[in-house]
Amino acid sequence: MPATRTSPAAKAVAELDDLNLKLARGQRMLRRLKDEDVQIATADKEVVFREDKTTLYRYKSTAKHTIGVPVLVAYGQIGRYTMTDLQEDRSMLRNLLALGVDVYAVDWGSPTRGDRWLTFEDYVDVYLADCIEHICRAHDLPAINLLGICEGGVFSLCYAALYPERVKNLILTITPVDFHQDQADGRLNHGFVNLWTRGLADEDIERLIEANGNLPGELMSYVFSQMTPGATMSKYNVGLLDTFDDEKKLLNFLRMEKWLADRPHHPGEAAKQLLVNLYKNNELVRGEFELGGRKVNLKDIKVPVLNVFAKDDHVIPPKTTQALRRAVGSRDYTEIGLDGGHVGVFVGGRSQGVLGKGIADWLRKRD
Amino acid sequence: MNETSKSVAEHWLAGQQAMWKPFFPWTAGQSGEPKPAANANPLEEQFNELRDTWQASVTKWTDFAKEAAQGELPSADKLREMFTPAAWAHGPGSGPGVVDAALQRVLEGPRYAVLWDLDRQLLELKKLTLQRDQAVAAYQAVVQKAWNAAFQRFAKALGSDPLASTKLTWRGLADKWLAVANDTLIDVHRSEKFIEAQRQMLRAASDRHLQERKIAEAWCEAGHIPTRTEIDELQRHVVELRREVRLLRRATPAGAIPAATVGARRVPARRPRTASKRART
Repeated sequence: MPATRTSPAAKAVAELDDLNLKLARGQRMLRRLKDEDVQIATADKEVVFREDKTTLYRYKSTAKHTIGVPVLVAYGQIGRYTMTDLQEDRSMLRNLLALGVDVYAVDWGSPTRGDRWLTFEDYVDVYLADCIEHICRAHDLPAINLLGICEGGVFSLCYAALYPERVKNLILTITPVDFHQDQADGRLNHGFVNLWTRGLADEDIERLIEANGNLPGELMSYVFSQMTPGATMSKYNVGLLDTFDDEKKLLNFLRMEKWLADRPHHPGEAAKQLLVNLYKNNELVRGEFELGGRKVNLKDIKVPVLNVFAKDDHVIPPKTTQALRRAVGSRDYTEIGLDGGHVGVFVGGRSQGVLGKGIADWLRKRD
Repeated sequence: MNETSKSVAEHWLAGQQAMWKPFFPWTAGQSGEPKPAANANPLEEQFNELRDTWQASVTKWTDFAKEAAQGELPSADKLREMFTPAAWAHGPGSGPGVVDAALQRVLEGPRYAVLWDLDRQLLELKKLTLQRDQAVAAYQAVVQKAWNAAFQRFAKALGSDPLASTKLTWRGLADKWLAVANDTLIDVHRSEKFIEAQRQMLRAASDRHLQERKIAEAWCEAGHIPTRTEIDELQRHVVELRREVRLLRRATPAGAIPAATVGARRVPARRPRTASKRART
């Protein structure tokens, strides 16, 4: 082994030997792997409602329900909901099911140019609202538990503020609220999207959407890659090499790649609202964000709120989401700060037991 | 001159002479017939003058008819073709050229005044392409500077402890390099220069893309193909109409809507929305 050798030449030979062995092992593993080995979002589920490109899934229970009111998981438009069920042992959804939660999830589909004119109103007032109505009717309930993730958390906040009677408990994970708190912690590697967006003139955004119809998923991937330049440039060399030690690691790597490559385009008009009204003008926390002529007042949210954030979230820095405490009208507000980054909270090995359990325990107390 | 046209010409000349003869029986060429007296009265003089004028006129027209008869006279079919409006649009040669061209323009759609206008559009595209390339180059210059800084920092870090660096494995060295590069690039990515260079690049790319679309749409219009802008507008109308339909459904009591329209779904009354509003930009 390299560490036991002292002569530089011997060390170099040993290292080269190790490297070649790793490469050979990796090559053998990659040759053996098939497409079906890297499937994601495979938890058993059924389609219970469809509207345009939106699909509502209900997941098959894996344990006896211990919480009476179902949970609807709403992801955003910057990535796909499949991240919540990356693989069997890294799946927030499976963890919730195992803890007796009745889980629904909404998939917004993959927007195309034809969806350019969809706005936040369409997602909140129509698609999300209709999914919730469906669940309420199916269970004969006046309200359900709503769990929003990232931009889906913003949709959920808007919905809960506008239709408080339909939400029993509100759970938010890695959700931006005060878009201008990105540098409150003074961490340079945090909040690049906020800075990037503020650097754009409104007209730049207008022309970008006009030229492309939507906010291209590839552009957002590119912006994200600039937040972690070291990881970006070492991903397919050093990073991939590290996975050649262990097939499980390699499969995890490939599944992550699959999710990342599946980044949807963000519908153009809704993207303008996200970038201009929220990121640039910070209208949500200021109570100025309007949907269909109505102001979204977060103080109208009086139901219990659980806010889960990642302590090292470089996309949604903790302070941008923790601002919710002061913004909502609820007296029952709880925060859970988890170790890890933006996506790591959901797919990281460390957070697997913590995230699902934290949510289920909190809900059980309020069921 | 073919036989048909010759006979037509002769027939026409004979007809003309027969027509004028009764009015001017003393016309030239009819020698032996009485001529007016030399000492005529003023009325006679005027009449004689008028006669001469008519005579000259008949001669001129006769000559003209003779000249015409020397060339190709249009056949009956040719004449029919010349005066059939449907034939006017068949291009130059078959009808009056100027009318043809104008008519053709109306029928075939817009032209680039047209060619020159297209040249101008292409020139603008070239200019915007150049601007985009310049913006990309400016952006790359900022990034390159960052890489140079990263190399300098890395070299400095290694140089500060040569003994430690010799103990590094290739992996240790790679990790050290990645850490230095990561920190340097994050610094640069947050700089005003980088943000502005990236903004300019994005804007230049959008502007160029839109100019390209403008040209493509001009061709589409000439070829009767719907343009991107028209399709976008159409989609916008569809989305807005669907919103209105949804609002109407929600505002209408469920029983009042035909079952076929609503299907199995029943949507409870919602808090009313005012007219849809897009992003305030």
